[in-house]
Amino acid sequence: MYTLHYAPDNASLIIRLVLDGAGIPYRTALVNRASRQQDGAAYRALNPSGLIPVLETPQGAIAETGAILLWLTDIHKLGPAPADPDRRDFLQWMFFLSNTAHADLRQIFYPHQYAPAEAHAGHHEIIAARMLCHFGLLDAAARQHPALFAPAKPLGAYTLALTRWAALYPVHAPRWMDLAAFPALAALARAQEARVETPVIARAEGLGAHPFTRPEQPNPPEGAVL
Amino acid sequence: MTLTLYHIPDWASSIIHLALEEIGAPYQIVPLDYDAGDLSTPAFRAINPLGLIPAMDTPDGPMFETAAILLWLNECYGGLGPRQGEPDRAAFLSWLTFVSNGPHVTSMAMIHPEYAAGEAAAEEVLRLAFEALNQQAAHLETLITTKAPVWLSTHTPGALGYYLGIVLRWAIYMPHDSTLRFSLAPFPALQAVLAAHESFPAALRVAEADGLGPTPFTAPVVA
Repeated sequence: MYTLHYAPDNASLIIRLVLDGAGIPYRTALVNRASRQQDGAAYRALNPSGLIPVLETPQGAIAETGAILLWLTDIHKLGPAPADPDRRDFLQWMFFLSNTAHADLRQIFYPHQYAPAEAHAGHHEIIAARMLCHFGLLDAAARQHPALFAPAKPLGAYTLALTRWAALYPVHAPRWMDLAAFPALAALARAQEARVETPVIARAEGLGAHPFTRPEQPNPPEGAVL
Repeated sequence: MTLTLYHIPDWASSIIHLALEEIGAPYQIVPLDYDAGDLSTPAFRAINPLGLIPAMDTPDGPMFETAAILLWLNECYGGLGPRQGEPDRAAFLSWLTFVSNGPHVTSMAMIHPEYAAGEAAAEEVLRLAFEALNQQAAHLETLITTKAPVWLSTHTPGALGYYLGIVLRWAIYMPHDSTLRFSLAPFPALQAVLAAHESFPAALRVAEADGLGPTPFTAPVVA
């Protein structure tokens, strides 16, 4: 059985949406960010960079959200297989989400890792503008490839988590994300919330009644978001 | 099946150029000129809406994203790393994604530190990226010394060796501030892997074609 190392409303949420969406059994292991467990030797042995999530599998531990999704897709047939003509679309959007959209959003959450304090306001503005372009591209891609960007599927779940976080984090910063500007993504958010597993996941991580269409600050029953 | 690579030498498309030579796939190159605006034309935006290279035409249609193309080529031809069902596939995927999210992004930030927060903050942005890249290289060094993966080794050419060879090359020679240029010296195992990769026949052919010089990964020389 898989073990998902998670913290509430962290990138592990994406993996949870996909695992529960496909009915794949797994257990969770909370990474307590309040005590910086992700920097401890045990967690660093699983993932040297300390980033969450890690999925432990019979074939070893997998780090990096995109890599976990690629691996699950191949094992559990959650998307186009090799030689499927849509495989290239699936791969390219997975890496776009991972190294561009997710990586840029991370810059907004943790500006001190990327820019000096006196430049944070400008940095926020520049990266937020870039993110809006990324969401525009994802909206077009979701329209073009509805099966790939379906709720609970790897690309759909990944995209939705980014739209949620864009609306919420960092807590004390100007808001810039309006899901209504991206109709295909808004429809995706509604479809995800209509699925039976969504409220169960939302309760487990304290994400509220409308985690994707009307995100609010989480109130997790266990663990810490930051 | 002929593939078409949209290419500018020493851009990320050189990574795909290396992979194509390594696997011996039939391909042709369409050279693009950034200064002439080739990446902004409607024709190119139809291939990659981001206006970035690499992009590649396949019999199934166009595709983009360096790591995505590497995985796709590996699925079609093999020879770049573990495929589905092969040993160590999980670790290979983790580290390919790590290189795509980490060193590739960080090296780009070192080349264009003004993109993140403007010219005034560029020096500090470069310094932060320099520190991040050193940390990422340390993770790779530990990976090689403790796990000795076949797919990032001195004896077997692979996608990660070529990918890292190009993105670290940029960080070694491109940053404006010479005190904040990346060095492989603190990472001898990684340096050995890249030295082997720049000596593989496919790399020698690409170095010649793309004008990357005699030691493109370990001691890049400005052309």
